Amino acid sequence: MTADPRFRVPLLFLSALAVHLALIPVLRVGGVAPDVMLLLAVAGGLVGGPVRGAVLGFTAGIAVDVFLRTPMGLSALVFTLVGYTVGIVSTGVLTPSWYLPILTASLASAAGVVLYAFVGAMLGQPMVSRRLVTIVGVVAVGNALLAFPVIRVVTWAMGADTGLVSDIRGRRARADWR
Amino acid sequence: MLLVLTSVTAITLDFRDDGQGVMESMRSGARDAFAPVQAAVGKVFSPVGDFFGGITRFRKVKAENSRLRRDLEAAQGEAIRGADAIQENQLLNALARLDFAGDLRGITARVVSNSPSNFQLTVTVDRGSDEGVTTGMPVVTPAGLVGRISEVSRNRSTVLLLTDPASSVGVRLAGSREIGSVTGSGRRDLLPLSLISVETKVAEGEAVVTSGLEGGLFPPHIPVGRVRGAKITPGQLEQEVTIEPVVDLDRLELVRILIWQPTPSP
Repeated sequence: MTADPRFRVPLLFLSALAVHLALIPVLRVGGVAPDVMLLLAVAGGLVGGPVRGAVLGFTAGIAVDVFLRTPMGLSALVFTLVGYTVGIVSTGVLTPSWYLPILTASLASAAGVVLYAFVGAMLGQPMVSRRLVTIVGVVAVGNALLAFPVIRVVTWAMGADTGLVSDIRGRRARADWR
Repeated sequence: MLLVLTSVTAITLDFRDDGQGVMESMRSGARDAFAPVQAAVGKVFSPVGDFFGGITRFRKVKAENSRLRRDLEAAQGEAIRGADAIQENQLLNALARLDFAGDLRGITARVVSNSPSNFQLTVTVDRGSDEGVTTGMPVVTPAGLVGRISEVSRNRSTVLLLTDPASSVGVRLAGSREIGSVTGSGRRDLLPLSLISVETKVAEGEAVVTSGLEGGLFPPHIPVGRVRGAKITPGQLEQEVTIEPVVDLDRLELVRILIWQPTPSP
């Protein structure tokens, strides 16, 4: 874990994309898989705040869009908004707790999926159906389960010490010191 | 002295008979009589012999053991590969002789990945424009319809599965000959069949095949599914018919891309 910080984020992207493209489609529940790239945007917001979250979200979204038939930029738009919003919300939290990042990842992922479906529907994609409920549920639960390791990896990649996660780590460190 | 003489006599007799006289008859009889006993004793003592042999030839036995293990593993692997090859060969043969495809030529392709999106039901196959694949071509298995080619690159093509919400297939009920439309619902197990009049008698299990109407996206007679259920709601002009795809879209391995293009409607 001593790689040059300049290479960490690209490395993170390539790894996350590889997992998203190769592994996740196999791990489906009810035909639906967790969304690692959306989770990356959420983790970016949690770890780095709104601006970094938005940048990470945009990059993750564009990377996903390349592999889909959906309009190019749809994922980028949604993931940018998700990363930014999570960043805003997380910096405003006054009393962080251990479960908050996981809860945030779950809720933000669910909101991201709904936003994606509705923006997609506005762009003529048949995305809003009864199946959306299943997709939202599986992504929310799956991303919550993956949240902890992904946040850890994003924290390492960004070399970040800001935002909700570092706040929690700081509080834990202070408690240990006492 | 007597025993020595007896011995010398026996040797002399044996030499004189040249292996065919009394001495040989005695030997043969004794061997036959003793054979069962020899076998039984051999069986009883063989583990002991093996044990001692194992001690004295431990390294050799160990080496032989690991060689045999390797051979066994290789043989098991070969057997699995053989069984897999037989299965694949059967599948390839079936793909080469598609009854419903008639004279249509095709390109056999392997499914290499599933869609990374939760909103799109697609698979990627290992054949592209270099092999003559173009968008719109139907994709089938020996069981029936899989979908159609939606994107093509040089070495890869994306197949839009018939269960994708963007997919629509013109179909015909095999029994009543009624024409309808199957639209993807996002679910892989059930598909809604629309445009079926309430007056049409729809039987459960009835076959559904592509209609092949002019301007349609698929050639005729490709099996699509079987009717799972039909419901008539009072006041509606159409029945709510659901069909089950004949192809298991979760376990696609080898498919055939039919060289066919939809004819533009006049």
